[in-house]
Amino acid sequence: MTITRINVGPVHPSTHGVIRLVVDLEGDTIVHVEPRIGFLHRGVEKLAETRMYMQIPPYTEKLDYIAPMSYDEAYVATVEAAMNVQVSERAQYIRVILLELQRLASHLLSIGLLCNDLGQMFTGFMWTFKDRDIVLDLLQEAAGSRMFYVNMRLGGMREDLPADFIEHTLSTLKYLEHRIPMYVSYLEKNPIFIERMKGVGVVTKEEALDLGVTGPVLRASGVDYDVRRNNPYYVYPKLHFNPKYLQSGDNFARYKVRILEMQESIRIIRLALKDIPEGNALGAPIKLRSPNPVNRISVVSRELPRGECLMYMVADPQKPYRLSIRSPNMINLAAIDHISRGARYADLFSILGTLDIVMGCVDR
Amino acid sequence: MTLQTDLANLFNIPYWMSSANIVHNIIGIIVYMIVVSIVFSIFGYMVGWLERKVIARAQYRHGPTYVGMWGLFQNLADLIKLLAKQDVVPEYADRVLLAASLPVILALSMFIVLLLPYSPSLTATSFGFGLLMIFTLISFFPLLLFTAAFGSGNKFADISAQRSVLILLSYELPILLVLASVVALSGSYNLSGIVSAQSSSHYFALLMPIGFVVFFIAMLAEFDRPPFDLREADSELIAGWLTDVSAPYYALALFLDYARMFMGSIIIAILFFGGWLGPSILPPFAWILIKALIIAFAIIIIRATAFRMRIDRVLRFGWAWMIPLSLINLLITYMIFVR
Repeated sequence: MTITRINVGPVHPSTHGVIRLVVDLEGDTIVHVEPRIGFLHRGVEKLAETRMYMQIPPYTEKLDYIAPMSYDEAYVATVEAAMNVQVSERAQYIRVILLELQRLASHLLSIGLLCNDLGQMFTGFMWTFKDRDIVLDLLQEAAGSRMFYVNMRLGGMREDLPADFIEHTLSTLKYLEHRIPMYVSYLEKNPIFIERMKGVGVVTKEEALDLGVTGPVLRASGVDYDVRRNNPYYVYPKLHFNPKYLQSGDNFARYKVRILEMQESIRIIRLALKDIPEGNALGAPIKLRSPNPVNRISVVSRELPRGECLMYMVADPQKPYRLSIRSPNMINLAAIDHISRGARYADLFSILGTLDIVMGCVDR
Repeated sequence: MTLQTDLANLFNIPYWMSSANIVHNIIGIIVYMIVVSIVFSIFGYMVGWLERKVIARAQYRHGPTYVGMWGLFQNLADLIKLLAKQDVVPEYADRVLLAASLPVILALSMFIVLLLPYSPSLTATSFGFGLLMIFTLISFFPLLLFTAAFGSGNKFADISAQRSVLILLSYELPILLVLASVVALSGSYNLSGIVSAQSSSHYFALLMPIGFVVFFIAMLAEFDRPPFDLREADSELIAGWLTDVSAPYYALALFLDYARMFMGSIIIAILFFGGWLGPSILPPFAWILIKALIIAFAIIIIRATAFRMRIDRVLRFGWAWMIPLSLINLLITYMIFVR
């Protein structure tokens, strides 16, 4: 059969940002997918070399515009490692709460977008987007902004949690605990959804390890690996964090892992809100601390909503000499050729949806 | 037997068109055509508005609100905007095929609408094989969509064209098999005859529920409604056969989308819900419109929550479920009601 080459994107309704996929089809079967990236390239790593430490968080945050706070925290944690700053106990709790809320917001959007990719235009998307909005309201209360926060400081936060934050968060969590089973029953009772998700885009355990995918994609393939547990940071061990993983490695497992992670996040936030100690949560602005790093090289690993981010920083006085970011999205996206080979053309988009790519992070 | 009585028997022309004067007849037919087309277009437009509103409500949105009361004129505003835009035909497109297909679909839809009976008196022609004629015309739609998609020369449209033919292959047969049982029940190929057969017994949707369900699903596939909207699968094929269709034709395609849906609802109302039959508190044509609107509402609600099926699964569903079920329906109908 002849091979048809189709150019999906950069302008296409379901390419999660600006990505171009060159797809070779044999009939309706995918032979080869080649992602062409770089449409959103801004040279963040190079920009970081010319900016002072406190000027960089706005750049790193915009890498992942769906879960910006996680990148914010990863960068600030790298600088903290370089300058050998300890984070106060209360700030650790606050960071964990905010990061898990950010993870909830991110996974909610991911599930909504998955509905779009499966051709159920905008109903599921709008439902989850509304819930994401409620979570973003909490982040706004805590950080003062809805989308880009820049609320981490060296050794703590820019400001403490507002007075009624705990109460609001608890009621939001209650609402989400009511909503998530609703999505699950809506999606999993739908035979078309099950049929298009189960057994499609399978990544075995070995393949997942070879491809280097991380995050929910890795855990869906039966690998019990989560940075929050394997290389713990902040108060995750105290909260008895328990990574969720599934065995089948198909689209459905990748979706289901996100649902389970959301439930785990809700549990962790509840515990953290209960245990949160009194104390000083405020950190110093980076420029007020000594801008001279203690450690020349610092590496920080963080579990972002989309996978493991590694920040490698070679520090100079005043500004980083080199900041290198291992983007989980880029490596997950690189696996798409392997995953979607042999799948149907329509499955390409559900696979892309379950990989949950953010192009700002891929292109950097 | 004169030719005139022959014609009168064959076409069963209503009294207000059966004047002896042929000029009166022609004027009557033209007036009927214009009135029915306009009323149908208005209702098609209203179904489009209803779809936008209902889908918006399902998605926590308000839908159109600003243009006119409850946003009633939003679609009109969109239409004017689209008509004002430039008509761009890609260089590699087959201009004739692309430009001809959509108007031909519109003309066929209007022709079908004119052939349908709306009440005992609102019937342009009650010619003996109306049912066959309508479904012959309807089976042109996938072919015309194929030519439009093929003519636009776009690769996404090409995939859409292939899917169009596949749907034609697997969803025309169940429709025809169900029609066979409708004919067996009513003993008539005449649409008015089918309605009057339902007045003496129950609605056919009650007599053959399997047939109704199969027919409803097949009509969803025939008219591009989710979960069978594979021809214009937004998340896969951008807009399928409409990818390279520019503004004025796109406006036409949007209108056709709603008009075909409403036409399908009317056909289902006639074949399975007794057309204009109903308590005499309302005039007969009001009953058929109410029934058609309820069916259109059901089709819209399906769109709000249905995921799109994959093309291979659509084929398998068509051959493994729809055709056997329609055959079973035919057998049951013959065994119980006809014998």
